[in-house]
Amino acid sequence: MHKGKGMKFVGDSRIQDKGQRNTIPKDYSEYPGRTEAFWPNFLLKEWLVGAVFLIGFLCLVAVAPSPLEQQADPNNSAYIPLPDWYFLFLYELLKFEFASADYVVIGTVGIPGLAFGALLLAPFLDRGPGRRPSQRPIANGMMLMGVIATVWLTYVSVTAVDWEQREQYSIANATEHEVDTEHPGYEAYSNNCMSCHGENMGGNAGMGPSLLESQMNVDAVKDIARNGIGDMPANQFEGSDEELENLANFIVDNRPSSDGEGEGNGEGSSEGSSEGENSDSES
Amino acid sequence: MLQKLYDWVDERLDITPIWRDIADHEVPEHVNPAHHFSAFVYCFGGLTFFVTVIQVLSGMFLTMYYVPDIENAFASVEYLQSQVAHGQIVRGMHHWGASVVIVMIFLHTLRVFFQGAYKKPRELNWVVGVLLFFVMFGLGFTGYLLPWDNKAFFATQVGLEIAESVPVIGTDIKTLLAGDPEIVGAQTLTRFFAIHVFFLPAALFGLMAAHFIMIRRQGISGPL
Amino acid sequence: MSEKKNNQVSRRQFLNYTLTGVGGFMGAAMVSPMVGMAVDPLLQAEGSSDFQYVMDVSEITQEPQRKSFTVPQEDGWYESESEQTAWIYRTENDEILALSPVCTHLGCTVDWESGDHDNEFFCPCHNGRYDRMGVNIADTPPTAPLPAYEYRVEEGKLYLGKAQPRGGA
Repeated sequence: MHKGKGMKFVGDSRIQDKGQRNTIPKDYSEYPGRTEAFWPNFLLKEWLVGAVFLIGFLCLVAVAPSPLEQQADPNNSAYIPLPDWYFLFLYELLKFEFASADYVVIGTVGIPGLAFGALLLAPFLDRGPGRRPSQRPIANGMMLMGVIATVWLTYVSVTAVDWEQREQYSIANATEHEVDTEHPGYEAYSNNCMSCHGENMGGNAGMGPSLLESQMNVDAVKDIARNGIGDMPANQFEGSDEELENLANFIVDNRPSSDGEGEGNGEGSSEGSSEGENSDSES
Repeated sequence: MLQKLYDWVDERLDITPIWRDIADHEVPEHVNPAHHFSAFVYCFGGLTFFVTVIQVLSGMFLTMYYVPDIENAFASVEYLQSQVAHGQIVRGMHHWGASVVIVMIFLHTLRVFFQGAYKKPRELNWVVGVLLFFVMFGLGFTGYLLPWDNKAFFATQVGLEIAESVPVIGTDIKTLLAGDPEIVGAQTLTRFFAIHVFFLPAALFGLMAAHFIMIRRQGISGPL
Repeated sequence: MSEKKNNQVSRRQFLNYTLTGVGGFMGAAMVSPMVGMAVDPLLQAEGSSDFQYVMDVSEITQEPQRKSFTVPQEDGWYESESEQTAWIYRTENDEILALSPVCTHLGCTVDWESGDHDNEFFCPCHNGRYDRMGVNIADTPPTAPLPAYEYRVEEGKLYLGKAQPRGGA
């Protein structure tokens, strides 16, 4: 009996397998009930589920554009790191006292290692023959506890985040920020500060930090311009007191967070949303 | 025409048994949602695979525009998202797919666990499945550094610090991942790119093949 | 009997067709945005060529002069300046002609009156020759005249656009 449609190997050293290969697929006769051919009957049902799922997924993609924040800036000290949601349980775990500082090993290696190790080796830990939940209360109980702990940690972590504040990190809201070039202090800014702090006060990697997030008032800004701060040397600004006054006002007024003229921020977000609309209509 | 082509190949390679093995098996009633609606829990594994396929395809297309370099990575992502036709959609598929695949693999794991389906003789398949879970986490972790935005950068820094806290070999692990003991920068990005695009997907494909071959050999576990 | 058999076959056939249809739908829904993204460069409208200032019209002579100018180039996310050169002169009809120095044979750079080729453009790679108007000389490798830049004259200044191929001779 040869395989396929009269296949013969010519000049081939292999010995043909005389015995019939066991290609008979498993049937489920040991489970009484109706069975169905995988192809095409069952697969069609699976694919219908898949198609519905795909439509839902594409709707999600169309409705929620994938987020992108501003370009990585290692000097951005105002940024609050946050991992993706599926790592939040781990992130939250490290906030507990018993899992941080001196005991951080417990939080990073100990607990996750135990939990995931147990998950990996579950079949060798839970060796009883019974499969029903009632026959293995310990295994199911531990798994339930693990799931609840993970969900709860994620939930706590999510609620602790100020999502509105994080919106500001998004590229749609931030890079569009533009300073008011008509402001009386603009000239002083462009002559004295722009080379380090950027055209739109957004900072310059390695040179000077962004001025947009600072909360300083006019007097503090004046003091820094004259006397410097941190790595910034003194006497960066050389001009009259009147110019200094204008400059400080300019910096404070053009911050998106300032209550006086939240203009920059408003512009930014409206720009962002119109961008979103455009890309939606393209799809 | 197609039949002739098939016959031509079959005559030489004897592909019919392979094909029969994949297509011609019976599916029992207890996993068929058409018979018992509660059997929808058996869909999660298939949906995980489906989203994985979406991830692989969209990832392939994203690399047409993406550059793993700290000078250009961000600009290229921004370009493909805002300038390229459908770029927003494809990046969205990859971004949200990453979340959905984690959800699906989680639900699939829970289904298998609570049904005790990992018991003899299916222990090995469970181990392979959990390894797949780890690979997915690894793909998620290495993937979100790639756009080189603030979220990426700082989350990766935290992740690397977690790796560093491992006793004895922690610093070595961190250096191995980041390419430098201190800087999270150019070398980190290329390493994460390589891991995300070549190493982990290779592991993923190998493990998935093992997962599926074992399912075909052992069949789906019976009803409770 | 045979009728029943036909019926069974057609049911399986029907399921197969439906399966192919659903699979095709899923594949198309998944892949079409990706393919759309991949073919984006084909769909991009060709950027309207900006004209760049090169030289003053008064400086243009009968003798071809080699002039370099830079064109801002936008290549996806990468913006740069690309340097281009042109041979600029007045023809016998007193028209301005700005020729691209890229040989139409295999893309080497041609030179004016190099060696002993008087009143000709000469390509050193395969001895390609062009006459004074940039038209290829028969029996030399090039098969088309040198491309000419689009030009515009404003307030006595010469601006060049894109090099356009001229019909083969």
